[in-house]
Amino acid sequence: MPQPSTRQRDMITIAWLFLGFPLLLIGLFVFFPIGYSLFISFFDWNLVTNQRTFIGLANYTRLFSDSLFWKSTGNTILYTIGVVPIQTFLALFLAFVMNQKIRGRSFFRAAFYIPAITSSVVTSTLFIALFSKQGLINQLFGLENDWLTNPNTAMLTIMANNIWTTSGYFMVSFLAGLQSIPNSLYEAARIDGASTWQQFWKITVPMVRPVTYFVLVLGLIGCFQVFDQIFIMSAGGPVNSTTTLSYYVYVNGFKYFKLGYAAAAAIVLAVLIFSANQVQNRYFKPEVD
Amino acid sequence: MSKLTTCWRYVLVLSIVFTFSGCQSTDTKLTRLSGWSSNPVEEKLVAGVLADFHREKPAVNFKYEPIPGNYTEKIQLMLGTHTAPDVFYLRGETAPSYMRFNVLEPLNQYAADTTFRIDDFYPALLKSFQKGDTLYGVPKDFNPYVLFYNKAMFGEAGLTHPPQNWKELEAFSRRMTKDTNGDGKPDQYGLVLEPTIEMIMAFVYQNGGDFQKEDGTLGILDKNFLDALEYYVRLYRTGAATIPSDLSAKWNGECFGTKKCAMVISSGWLIPELRTNYNDVDWGVAELPVGRQKATIVFTNAYAMPKESIHKKDGWQIIDYLTSQDGLKSVVKQGLALPPRRSVAQNLGLYNDPVKRVFLQSAEFARTFQTTLPERWYEEASVALQMIYFDNKTPREAMEALNRQIESGILQ
Repeated sequence: MPQPSTRQRDMITIAWLFLGFPLLLIGLFVFFPIGYSLFISFFDWNLVTNQRTFIGLANYTRLFSDSLFWKSTGNTILYTIGVVPIQTFLALFLAFVMNQKIRGRSFFRAAFYIPAITSSVVTSTLFIALFSKQGLINQLFGLENDWLTNPNTAMLTIMANNIWTTSGYFMVSFLAGLQSIPNSLYEAARIDGASTWQQFWKITVPMVRPVTYFVLVLGLIGCFQVFDQIFIMSAGGPVNSTTTLSYYVYVNGFKYFKLGYAAAAAIVLAVLIFSANQVQNRYFKPEVD
Repeated sequence: MSKLTTCWRYVLVLSIVFTFSGCQSTDTKLTRLSGWSSNPVEEKLVAGVLADFHREKPAVNFKYEPIPGNYTEKIQLMLGTHTAPDVFYLRGETAPSYMRFNVLEPLNQYAADTTFRIDDFYPALLKSFQKGDTLYGVPKDFNPYVLFYNKAMFGEAGLTHPPQNWKELEAFSRRMTKDTNGDGKPDQYGLVLEPTIEMIMAFVYQNGGDFQKEDGTLGILDKNFLDALEYYVRLYRTGAATIPSDLSAKWNGECFGTKKCAMVISSGWLIPELRTNYNDVDWGVAELPVGRQKATIVFTNAYAMPKESIHKKDGWQIIDYLTSQDGLKSVVKQGLALPPRRSVAQNLGLYNDPVKRVFLQSAEFARTFQTTLPERWYEEASVALQMIYFDNKTPREAMEALNRQIESGILQ
């Protein structure tokens, strides 16, 4: 192996210098907690006392016999399946429209993006008001439903909230993707007589596939981890219809003093997200030339 | 090159220092006191009382460290990482867990001091912080459920006194529930009840029932429990009363303040709201209507010390002062808290105050609502109530489901 020159060594040192600090932070605040979670998932620990009993896989076996765990897993998957496709399509659609030369374009772009940069506490509070029994939604449509206390609609309301906030966020990603599509393709299509709708399906959708993949991956991870909207809007209720895995982890760790058990549930959630991403990676990854 | 290496080391050391400087360093010389602080006024009030204490006992070096949010989680983490304050507020609701985990210092020997006069405290409050005969917290304040009523609405309906019993509660509520704009839906309700287990328990206790009996077994399928629950739910289902979410309100105090109802069951926390946000409501308070016996639910907080504390002596001096005649007087005089000591209430003439008297008298027959079940019982109970209110199950079906869930042992 040839000896690196002084210049190369300096470059390596500089590289380490740039990498060192973030690595340290990530190691301390990301990798260490992940490893530690795995470690304590084998213990019976309430966090408050020093007594930490090693119980092997008992937390996991208990977890799988808790009907609420299965319910929250089901809710999490349902939520993800409901939110990801709609938010991705809506984001793409919004981006497509916002990429046209229409009047007040920058206003609309800002308007669609604002929910994404607004705190989830604020948007959740807004949705509570909108979907309450005497709220705007019921008044507009002449309904009498209390969306958030009805077990059949509570999850839908929270899904709507998330779709509304994140589609604006992903719209920006799609906009960037759209702007890299050469205009000549659209010109050629127009000459051949393609309608706007045809242009959308035949040019835009295939051309932004790499962005779509990115949005799907991020959207999926985000949906699996949904917490703050649940925490504020429904606290898992009514009748556990909105208890998701991350909320289940939170209540077990910090309300029921079962930290080891909560860690086990968090590990299961991580495995779930990881496997879902693997599936995506295998079947949906765009081919890179 | 060597210059660069030095530079690199320097950065590394700095980053390590920076990273770890975030970790909390605790001064072990000081006795630390922590509590939640809901607002700056409250914080200032506590600081003021502590300043008095400092003048009296200058030898005790202490520091007041209020915790602004997520109090329970924060204390839990501090206990786990051995950085817990030497004296901290303990909520009555969380007391059973902390007592079970054996992390609190027993206070019997400190409180045995004759000058402390433990028998002066309302017994119901002490009971919240006792396991067997061992005391783990000294009550600092309390709030019992009482009945708030709108005097104007009572006058309008020709009612001269607040309801005295369950029958009157239902009848009065029906009388004051009315549709004023003719759209077929009531615009004013007689009563707004919260679908929470705490509020229901007041009725259960009045009916001689219990959630968990003395021997530890569940009482939720007993006749006394179910009858009370059924009465409570019937008020809602037959339209004599409603729940806050049906009026798009966050809690029943909001319904009362916005004059959407004539009566609510609430406690001290509603009074500042009525004085500041809803000062056009002409209100009064009364003891809860009586079932088979008088009973209400009381919420209370205490001062507690962790077992691990190395400043127990000083810690107790702080608790002793804060719950003494002087300490309590200055808090009670300035704020709205009720003193946990009978003698303080008597000396300050609170029994002559038409509002505070009701609260103090309620303390005599009040009970705290705690169970010895694993913490998850509360969520399970809430789920059972949601089944009734939002999923059309009967009280019996919901309680049978709750009974099954608790007995299955999955809560452990």
